[in-house]
Amino acid sequence: MIRFEKVTFGYNTRRILNELSLTIEDGEKMAILGGSGEGKTTILKLIVGLIRPDSGAILIDGEDITGKSEDELNDIRRKFSIVFQQGALFDSLSVKENVAFCLREYAHMTEAQIDEKVRELLRLVDVEPAISLMPDELSGGMHRRVAIARALAVAKPKMMLYDEATAGLDPVNSDNICRLIVELSKTGMGHIMVTHKVVDALKVAERFVFLEGGKPIFDGNADALLQSTHPHIMVFVDELRYRPAAGS
Amino acid sequence: MNIRQIISDLQDYYWLAYQGFLGMFRRPFYWQDTVEQMDYAGAGSFFIMGLVSLFVGMALSLQLAAELAVLGLKMYIGKVVGITIIREVGPVTAALVFTGRVGAGMASELGSMMIGNQVDSLRVFGVDPIKKLVTPRLIASLLMLPALTILGDALALFGAWYIAVYVSNQSGYVFWSSVRGVLDFQNVFSGAVKPFMFGFLIATISCYAGFTTRGGATGLRTSTTNAVVSSIIMIIISDFVLTRILLYVLGYKT
Repeated sequence: MIRFEKVTFGYNTRRILNELSLTIEDGEKMAILGGSGEGKTTILKLIVGLIRPDSGAILIDGEDITGKSEDELNDIRRKFSIVFQQGALFDSLSVKENVAFCLREYAHMTEAQIDEKVRELLRLVDVEPAISLMPDELSGGMHRRVAIARALAVAKPKMMLYDEATAGLDPVNSDNICRLIVELSKTGMGHIMVTHKVVDALKVAERFVFLEGGKPIFDGNADALLQSTHPHIMVFVDELRYRPAAGS
Repeated sequence: MNIRQIISDLQDYYWLAYQGFLGMFRRPFYWQDTVEQMDYAGAGSFFIMGLVSLFVGMALSLQLAAELAVLGLKMYIGKVVGITIIREVGPVTAALVFTGRVGAGMASELGSMMIGNQVDSLRVFGVDPIKKLVTPRLIASLLMLPALTILGDALALFGAWYIAVYVSNQSGYVFWSSVRGVLDFQNVFSGAVKPFMFGFLIATISCYAGFTTRGGATGLRTSTTNAVVSSIIMIIISDFVLTRILLYVLGYKT
């Protein structure tokens, strides 16, 4: 379980999160929505200890991680796997080497076992033919898929964190990524998807949190989100209903 | 930038330099990364280093020949050029070229990895970014810059010889015997110590600049510029300090 208790975080004088309190249960399928700069990605980075809050506590399975050293945080990080915005693949390594990175670091596998595991993961995300390509030779959708495969190689994370996993992708590729996320969650693994695209959030999540001014202004299910009368949320939701006027 | 920020930045730099250095003696060792960095920093810099050193040696020989001719001391070209190149110009020239090519490359590569969340990915995977990224670059710089300095010195002396013989009409035998005469322990030691210090400074400053990259293309430009400018300033300052110390240690009177 992830628990944020009155977490405040800012860069220099700009406050991003303002006494944010939030609880996320294991196995939950959640989307964090909001505009740019509202602190969506910050929440993911705080969960895996990449940044530390200015005040407040972050409890992972009851353990406060805010004062932990980098070595201690590594044990916490093994519970999660994160897919960064744009994938964050190592551009000096091939697709195979990117996915094999963690296996080489920790798994103590033979070269043949690594090869087999990499192919298995790439098959799972449907990009096995790209195994020998370099990241700059991949399309946007393939890039994200490889990033997901690499994230799955970490171990058996109990929760996947997706940072704008569909940003910059065309609707077909976005839909494919969302399907993949849903497919992966059927194994019992929870996920948090950070996005500003309501259409994608609705495809992958059961719980929705909408951030504004460093705090959640909405926390509920899909029906409640679509019926929200909050003007900021309505702007996002209206995107789903928008149809150009006939003849325009 | 206020004083507190400067102190904080310096503290972060020292920490990175310390951890990067300590990484050389702690597991895991990233041999493949180290060899790749050595190839990039060493073999990749050989041509430009040779070219620059050759022309620096030729220009130095020309300048000295013109001045020494006035005094009727042209036969001393080999001695003066030898001392100048081995003790001072060779290490500093090599360090400046190394900064421009390798230091800037380190800062921009690490900066790009910062912006693209690749460094964060390493941390999430439980890999220490300093050990994985800084230590191999530090080892490569500590080994390759002295090697390049020796090669650069040789080519600079060759350029100086060419000018002395074919332009200033001096004897090649006299030139090389003068150069051999200055290749004593004091001079060679003075020239050999500096590249290690310069290599350490270039690698740590450039990696620090890369790791502190924020923002997009502008941030990358700023960090690369900072890496090159700070390295050059530190090379020049540390050269003066080292020269002062070495002259004292080796018993020279100034």
